[in-house]
Amino acid sequence: MSSNTIKLTVSHAPFWHNGSSTASKSRNILLDSLFAVVPGCYQYGRAAAGVVTIAVASAIIWELLINFLSRRSISVGDGNAAVIGMMLAMLMPATTPWWAVVTGTFLAVVIGKEIFGGIGANPFNPAVLGMAILMLGWPFLFDFNASVLNYAFDFKAIYPLVLSKSFGAHAVDSFTVMELLKGHQIGGIGATFGIGLIIAGVYLMIRGYIRWEISIFFLAGVFATALFFKWLNPFYAGPGFHLFTGYTLIGAFFLATEDASSPVNFIPMLIYGFLGGLLTVMIRNIGVHIDGVLYAVLIINLVHPLVDKIRPKAMGKGVSHE
Amino acid sequence: MIKRAFFGILKPKLHYKQIDEAPAQPTSVRASQKITLYIDDPDQNTEASVLKVGDPVKSGQKIALTAKADSSYLLASRSGRISNIALFVGIFGKKFTAVTIDMDADAAQIMDDVFKSASQTPSLENARAMLAGLPGKPDFNVFLSGGHPVKTIAVLGADSDLLSITRQYFVKNNIISIKTGIDLLRKITGIHNVILIVPHHLAQVAGSSGATVKTVDSEYPSAHPHLIRQHILSSEAPISGAGVAFFSAEAVSAIGAAFNTGKPPLEKLLSFISKDGTRRLVSVPIGTSAQDILNEFNEKIKDGDQLIVGGPLTGISVYASDYPVLPDTDTLMVLSKKKIVEREESACVNCGECVRVCPSGIQVNLLVRCLEARKFQEASDRYDLFSCIECGFCSYVCESRIPVFQHINLAKYTLEHMKEAEKNNV
Repeated sequence: MSSNTIKLTVSHAPFWHNGSSTASKSRNILLDSLFAVVPGCYQYGRAAAGVVTIAVASAIIWELLINFLSRRSISVGDGNAAVIGMMLAMLMPATTPWWAVVTGTFLAVVIGKEIFGGIGANPFNPAVLGMAILMLGWPFLFDFNASVLNYAFDFKAIYPLVLSKSFGAHAVDSFTVMELLKGHQIGGIGATFGIGLIIAGVYLMIRGYIRWEISIFFLAGVFATALFFKWLNPFYAGPGFHLFTGYTLIGAFFLATEDASSPVNFIPMLIYGFLGGLLTVMIRNIGVHIDGVLYAVLIINLVHPLVDKIRPKAMGKGVSHE
Repeated sequence: MIKRAFFGILKPKLHYKQIDEAPAQPTSVRASQKITLYIDDPDQNTEASVLKVGDPVKSGQKIALTAKADSSYLLASRSGRISNIALFVGIFGKKFTAVTIDMDADAAQIMDDVFKSASQTPSLENARAMLAGLPGKPDFNVFLSGGHPVKTIAVLGADSDLLSITRQYFVKNNIISIKTGIDLLRKITGIHNVILIVPHHLAQVAGSSGATVKTVDSEYPSAHPHLIRQHILSSEAPISGAGVAFFSAEAVSAIGAAFNTGKPPLEKLLSFISKDGTRRLVSVPIGTSAQDILNEFNEKIKDGDQLIVGGPLTGISVYASDYPVLPDTDTLMVLSKKKIVEREESACVNCGECVRVCPSGIQVNLLVRCLEARKFQEASDRYDLFSCIECGFCSYVCESRIPVFQHINLAKYTLEHMKEAEKNNV
């Protein structure tokens, strides 16, 4: 109807966007994880750097491969595969052999995410799922005490959770909160340096890349449950110990907060987080496993759709629109 | 474009633009050669049309499609001769009849004085028959449709989309004519409960209107009619949607002027936002092409740019720059190619940002999954599709850049279309 020759762009409203993207979120999480990973690499040397790089690279390659096989558009640009690889590396001991790392990223990226439909469709946190399967398949590889045999540290090189589980709170008296925060404990590459993890977590919460409700209530769950156990029986280690050992901090800030497998409403987020903390300490204290975070996260991932049903009523609900 | 705040822990906020303390006078832009009127015409019964190409038209004359009393119409803002009548299909298949009027060459306009005598005896019937084409597009049908009885008249002095200051201008500068308009509305409808809704900073000025003044927050989308009804008028009227008639401040001011002078105002005031973000108030005859406004301000548009009728969150981007200014066009904005946000076909990552900003409390993350699978009926039954008030906030914050708002509108359109078809088949 017009003699106008200019071709305007036509699209649906809104014409503004706040500029956020999955790629920038992944970038922030990746950079932020360095707060914990760099001290880890410093502590464990080149082996740790090797695990991290292989994990990130192989995770990206697995996703690329699946992209080609399933003839979908290339999705590695969103950075999600790299984040999964990084998370997995942070959980692993520095001496993990390369093939175990590559298998782990396969389990995480392919089994944990891609077969469910890719980003946003995974029912479980892919990195946690991958790590849990690895730990069940090759338990000896992930025995943290055995993994650091060839290292000489100036602190007690025994996995603190093993000590507390077998010998009770007395045995871990030497692990003060300050020592634990400074990373004077053995464990996963990116899981031991408490100060770094807290800085990273606070940054992510402030920027809104993770939901603070989940992280805070995860930690609150750990604290409250550990306190309860301590009050029940002084044999159990206290909340300070549980908060800063094993995977607690990385679980609260990086694992439980994974988008697709966590709830989005306020009250469900609180329940989800708290439940994660509660299960963590329960598994540690009365379960058969040494650390409970991985299984706790998998279980809360499982209940997330259920708790997310607790939500406010939409406006005008129940009113006829005729 | 307003970027995501560094601190993301709080809900993202968008604020309405406030009118300046001393706003500049609106620039008058003249229509060149022709005006085009898009008249609502859902049924497209052109056989019944009383309009013919070549008909002379007087300024202020009612351009109705049929002779029936409830036929939709607009007012010719300039005198001239009808040169073209065509179908125009807008967004989501909305049908209009586009009537083009070639303007008289001489500057002296021939005024239509049919309304003049009618204005002596103000009545609702007169208003509906003569004034629905006023700037601001007043809708008198709500009083006469026989649905829920209207108990409250709400006059919107707050702009409904960001960047616009059109309605605020009327409250700030034309409060006297708004008062006249409100008095007239009271008289012709018999409804005395009139509420003037303004942003906080205009509350004092609004006081002299004689209506009850209520204020809305500066935070988007609190000036949305649905939210006004929900939060401000809930004590006045049932939530179910009936009982309130909404008028824009511009429409009320125009009604006042029309009955006072016997001449309906035919100039539309709008906020024009150019590529560099400068905002100007512009006063143009209804039907003037957007190109005339662009020419006036030397705004060049190139391939790939976007011309948006309405605000940045709820407007419509149009195909051609000859799109006319209509009675409800409050904002016209030009967006340069490099500022256009690309939408993506990527999946929802469930970050929940949309759920936290949704003013209706819809679980947008679940809704959008349903809509992407084209399960529209399920979306409506289980995921509150029809609770959406169409503010566009979900698309604005979407991290995956999913066109959520478009999905929602498409679903609503499809469902309504289906319902219509079912009704016709019975």
